[in-house]
Amino acid sequence: MAILEVKGLKKTFGNTEVLKDINFELEQGKALAVIGSSGSGKTTLLRCLNYLETPTEGTIYVAGDKVFDASENIKLSEADIRERRLHFGLVFQSFNLFPQYTALDNVCLAETLKAKSMPDFAANKAKILAEIKEHGKELLDMMGLSERMNHYPHQLSGGQQQRVAIARALALSPDILCFDEPTSALDPELTGEVLKVIRSLAEKNTTMIIVTHEMAFARDVADTVMFMDGGNIVEMGPANDVINNPQEERTKQFLSRYTEG
Amino acid sequence: MKKILAAALALTLTIGMTACGSAKQSGESDAEAVKANGKLVVGITDFAPMDYKDDAGNWIGFDADLATAFADSLGVEVEFVEIDWDNKVLELDSKSIDCVWNGMTLTDEVTSAMECTNAYCNNAQMVILPKDAAANYPDVESMKDLVFAVEAGSAGEEEVTALGYNCTPVKAQADALMEVAAGTSDAAVIDALMAAAMVGEGTGYDNLTYTVGLNEEKYGVGFRKGSDLAALANDFFKSAYEDGSMMAMAEKYGVSASVIAQ
Amino acid sequence: MSFSEQFPIVLGSLNVGFLQTLRLFAITLIGAIPLGLVISFGSMSRIKPLRYLVKGIVWVVRGTPLMIQLLIIYYFPGLVLKNAIWGSGEMGRFFASSVAFIINYACYFSEIYRGGIEGVSVGQREAGLVLGMTKSQIFFKVILLQMIKRIVPPMANEIITLVKDTSLARIIALQEIIWAGQSFLKGSQGISGVIWPLFFTAVYYLLFTGVLTLLFGKIEKKLSFFK
Repeated sequence: MAILEVKGLKKTFGNTEVLKDINFELEQGKALAVIGSSGSGKTTLLRCLNYLETPTEGTIYVAGDKVFDASENIKLSEADIRERRLHFGLVFQSFNLFPQYTALDNVCLAETLKAKSMPDFAANKAKILAEIKEHGKELLDMMGLSERMNHYPHQLSGGQQQRVAIARALALSPDILCFDEPTSALDPELTGEVLKVIRSLAEKNTTMIIVTHEMAFARDVADTVMFMDGGNIVEMGPANDVINNPQEERTKQFLSRYTEG
Repeated sequence: MKKILAAALALTLTIGMTACGSAKQSGESDAEAVKANGKLVVGITDFAPMDYKDDAGNWIGFDADLATAFADSLGVEVEFVEIDWDNKVLELDSKSIDCVWNGMTLTDEVTSAMECTNAYCNNAQMVILPKDAAANYPDVESMKDLVFAVEAGSAGEEEVTALGYNCTPVKAQADALMEVAAGTSDAAVIDALMAAAMVGEGTGYDNLTYTVGLNEEKYGVGFRKGSDLAALANDFFKSAYEDGSMMAMAEKYGVSASVIAQ
Repeated sequence: MSFSEQFPIVLGSLNVGFLQTLRLFAITLIGAIPLGLVISFGSMSRIKPLRYLVKGIVWVVRGTPLMIQLLIIYYFPGLVLKNAIWGSGEMGRFFASSVAFIINYACYFSEIYRGGIEGVSVGQREAGLVLGMTKSQIFFKVILLQMIKRIVPPMANEIITLVKDTSLARIIALQEIIWAGQSFLKGSQGISGVIWPLFFTAVYYLLFTGVLTLLFGKIEKKLSFFK
């Protein structure tokens, strides 16, 4: 069964239709790469999944459960939105690490705050905090940052910061991890280390949606590639097929700019 | 936008008119209010020998003693409050104080803004000059090219303006003296009583001197416009003058020559 | 009276005045720092009438001289409402001054806070949201410290201005240090026509603002661990 199912998703800002009828499914453990020129709606799609924007129409299912339905005219409480949002994790283009916390504290903050709201926290405080810290260390270790845990964001390179951000997004174990152009803000020589980490996550069968401009990376790492243009899904299929042998004229045009450039 | 402006203007006017009206319409008796309150609040400034503090920090002086005796005659306590002299009418009208009793010269402005008592003490406006320049200015006529520092709104300012001479208004009589000492003004005009206390040998301004008196003037006590306390204070002056207590106080502070018969 | 005789008397009087200055300074900070935060939230509120009301108040308070506000707050109740709520004594004048200063400074602080909050990037808020944090957690755990770091330099400026602005309260006869210094000009405690105490008050201001400058330098340094 599909872990994620999006049906008839639309989003308008004023008179501008940014997403026009988006439908797709994503299998558990698969990686989906979303490509397309800027303004095609890729980022808005991710923001809708993460409740940073409210879709105008459509429904979203996670593991068969309806988590969003625009036709249900009910205003969700903040707590409900928070709970549903946690199905998704999001890694931002500009990292958005919290500058006043160390790498480790960035990773542990949300989990710690969540634990504090639990009724049994006071009784087992030391143990719970130690567990969270241990988990955070493991994640940073996985990102190859065990030497940098106690550094503040401004003491880290862009690539290191983005790897901390990935560890932070993984800390709450989301069902689906979303990346919004994770290497666009990086110097070219630093993109490799971030892509390597995402590749290793794919090898561990992490369910991911990656908005990217790295075509070769999309082809090699993703299982499925979706090409978006003007708020529509133009073409979607196995990664190799879409990148190497696109069927649609608009996909061909888009990809040709990359091979030329 | 126009409507808002109009409304704001209307509001300002209403407030302004109520404020003006308040001074004129005084239905209730001020004397009754003071008696009910149990104290007479007297607005003063630190002004020897009329109102000043003794070593223990109590207010004494010719005016302070008179005010205390007046409060006694009403059967209430006296409370002295230091005020900004510029705001004396505001202080009265807003009922922060009940009277100003502080060597106040009775000018047209004062008598029109306050309910004043009869004059009880003589004063003059004296010209203050640097000692070394004094000989050059023997009379009022010789001073026509000088720049005078005067307290804004004071009797001194009125006199200098009436003469048509150049004058610079400053915040207090003391500031006027500082102007002369600092050379920023050529001369100052202040109360004779104050000049005697502050200028000349043995004072902070021993390089200044006072020369010519511009006019004769009189001190009175000011109450809120329309207050019935002014009449009561006049009665008090009469009885205190007759029984000799007023002269006794005046002698204590060295101003007996200035007291006016009641 | 010789200078050495004057000096202890003047110093005693200036100390009393300076204590009043310090009291007004402290109570203004205690009141205006939190009130400013409330006002800044009001001026960023999504409820339009509230936002316009708060912005209107801030406009009036920042657009008129503090000296006028002091006069209005102290004299208005007695003049117009026929009820002199503050009383005539030193205490009443102090309370009225405190109210005027707190309102005035809260409005200035609120604008600094607003700049500080809006200066923290939207991405920080969104990062907190996608991590499932509540609005108050995002404010207190993520935004607040970054905002404080941003506002320390402008707040330091404003607070040092406040030290000197307290002297305005003498318009309603609050006997702060300049009032105390000036009293020796016209005569007080047997000393009259003496100019130096007025100028000597500057030494108090200088020392105090010096201490504050050092303190704010320390705070800035403390917050320099992140960027």
